[in-house]
Amino acid sequence: MSDVKSVAEQRWFLPKSSLGDLVRKLCEQGYTVIAPVRRDGVITILPITEAADIARGVADEQDGGHYRLHDDPEDKYFRYSVGPDGPKRYFFPPRQKLFTMHVAGDRFEMDTVGPEPPKYAFIGVRPCDLAAIAVQDRVFGIASDQSTFRCETETYYQQTRLQSLLIAVNCTRPGGTCFCDSQNTGPEVTEHHLFDVAMTELRGGFVMRVGSDKGRALIDELPVREPNEAELELEELRLIRAREHMGRSLDPQQARDALAKAVEHPRWDEVAERCLSCGNCTMVCPTCFCSTVTDSSDLASNKVTRHRQWESCHTLAFTYVTSGPSRNNTRSRYRQWLRHKLSTWYEQFGSSGCVGCGRCITWCPVGIDLTEEAAIIAADRTLTTTHRSESEVCS
Amino acid sequence: MITSASNVARAEPICGMDAWLPVPARIEHIDQENFNTYTFRLRIIDDAIRRMYRWAPGQFNMLYVPGVGEAAISISSDPDEPRVLEHTVRVVGSVTRGILDTGVGGVIGLRGPFGVGWPVGNEIEGKDIVMVCGGIGLAPMRPMVYYLMKNRDRYRRVILLFGCRTPEDRIYIEELAEWEADGRIDLLVTVDNASGDWAGPVGVVTNLLRRVKVNANQSAVLVCGPRVLNRAAAWQFLQLHVPRSHVFVSLERNMNCGFGRCGHCQYGAKFVCRDGPVFRFSDIADIFAKEEI
Repeated sequence: MSDVKSVAEQRWFLPKSSLGDLVRKLCEQGYTVIAPVRRDGVITILPITEAADIARGVADEQDGGHYRLHDDPEDKYFRYSVGPDGPKRYFFPPRQKLFTMHVAGDRFEMDTVGPEPPKYAFIGVRPCDLAAIAVQDRVFGIASDQSTFRCETETYYQQTRLQSLLIAVNCTRPGGTCFCDSQNTGPEVTEHHLFDVAMTELRGGFVMRVGSDKGRALIDELPVREPNEAELELEELRLIRAREHMGRSLDPQQARDALAKAVEHPRWDEVAERCLSCGNCTMVCPTCFCSTVTDSSDLASNKVTRHRQWESCHTLAFTYVTSGPSRNNTRSRYRQWLRHKLSTWYEQFGSSGCVGCGRCITWCPVGIDLTEEAAIIAADRTLTTTHRSESEVCS
Repeated sequence: MITSASNVARAEPICGMDAWLPVPARIEHIDQENFNTYTFRLRIIDDAIRRMYRWAPGQFNMLYVPGVGEAAISISSDPDEPRVLEHTVRVVGSVTRGILDTGVGGVIGLRGPFGVGWPVGNEIEGKDIVMVCGGIGLAPMRPMVYYLMKNRDRYRRVILLFGCRTPEDRIYIEELAEWEADGRIDLLVTVDNASGDWAGPVGVVTNLLRRVKVNANQSAVLVCGPRVLNRAAAWQFLQLHVPRSHVFVSLERNMNCGFGRCGHCQYGAKFVCRDGPVFRFSDIADIFAKEEI
């Protein structure tokens, strides 16, 4: 046991000039390396081939409905926080083939072969996104045997996840919409996260530690040295400072309890006045998992392909049945999203659906802030009971 | 195949098939029930899957028309005769139209069975069973009627209240007559609007409660209808002091997967496809009366 502990506490130092060695090493090992890249005015997560591809010398500015990048005098790699996308789309693709089928008399000739699950190595995954990956592991059943169904099509998620390598980076400069500290998901990678290597960026390089055997093996291949006392102190200081710079906060337990009770609340009307029902919050959320299955037929070859694609609970069609949509108005759709994310998610998957990344706040075109909405509802002292009396059941 | 010890009816899932992949099933027979409703008798083509295929009253299948899409349709035949697999479908959308257009002898896809069905066994044995159905809501209840008829001696009164818009909307008309003649269940049928030579009760189905005596503490109530009926019926029984844990309601939601993965059918914390479609009222009491959940 003492060995394990010492490994967990052990630190290495990778000089900044050697980040390229890390990328090269991963490429040599057959990984598709995914890292933050500056493109189209945002930090996005894309395949790279060399360290020079990683966004550097840039910082972001985030607030409700606001995202800007600007050149940063500090020539560091990870001065920005999360951009609109995270690792989710590499494990759970936005559009994925379930099967292609040809009806041959009595038989369905099924082609379920999809793309070979790639071997991804992610560099620069933030602690909130590590937490989000753990949430989706539970949703897609690889963290539990909750699903009793055989689901060959879900092997893509499982395979890409299990063969992926996660090199996390601690956040030393949280964004204006970040609240991972209050969600217990960041800004620092802890033993509660699933990761292979975690790094903290200093001026001259990265203080690294390992979270898995795979990570330990990788360190052995890198030109690392032992960090000196000053570097370790600086790392600690930066991580403490990061906690003090959270742009937002949210009390998860309070939000969970309040939203469980607030099936009806005047605040839903107020937020519905602003919400555009655009679905941006669900598209940038690293834990949202809803999907819709569609058929597309090929007239020439008589084949049908069924695709699963990301869906948003903010659309009218999401709940459509013959008698009409179950949620006809913006009020009920926003309520579903927020109550699910912060409250009913616990009952379904044993945790909050929110990891405090703040993307839904930043990318909401009108800047609706879930921490604000949850706090206002939680502050309402009139919320007493979740259950209406029987006499109110049918009005 | 229903284990009498279990509290809720849930068959072994999927009988070896992949949860996402439909298996071909031939439409062996089509019965027209009314002007837009048909009962399709299906036969799973693969011998091994067909032999293993079991379901419980209240469960559903995803029926698939290649190139068109899927619809969640409850199974309406007798679970003790799994070789006869029937679905009663109101043809009102593109998928259901596609099933009808496929015709006898044609092949459609099937995934299932999914969900938690009606309570059977200890949960309700020795009680009066009151079933309340509106329109097509009789279809998910029919397997339960068969089950109760087969195990009739384990129950006290069995009451079926069935309401439709008009006499022409009724389904299973011949069977209704048989059940009535059989005498082991008390069947009452009402219509909102009488037409033709209808001589029975007129009014909403909950009005029929005036004609039956409900033993509040000795009854299990099973409700399946449109939302307005579910609410009105649940309300009436609660007013009669039937415990909320003895009232069961089957819900309808948009479903894409059938096993709690796509998110469409969420109802509060429940996935209707996986945790329902049949719910004990006490498990959904906090949201049941709310609009737009």
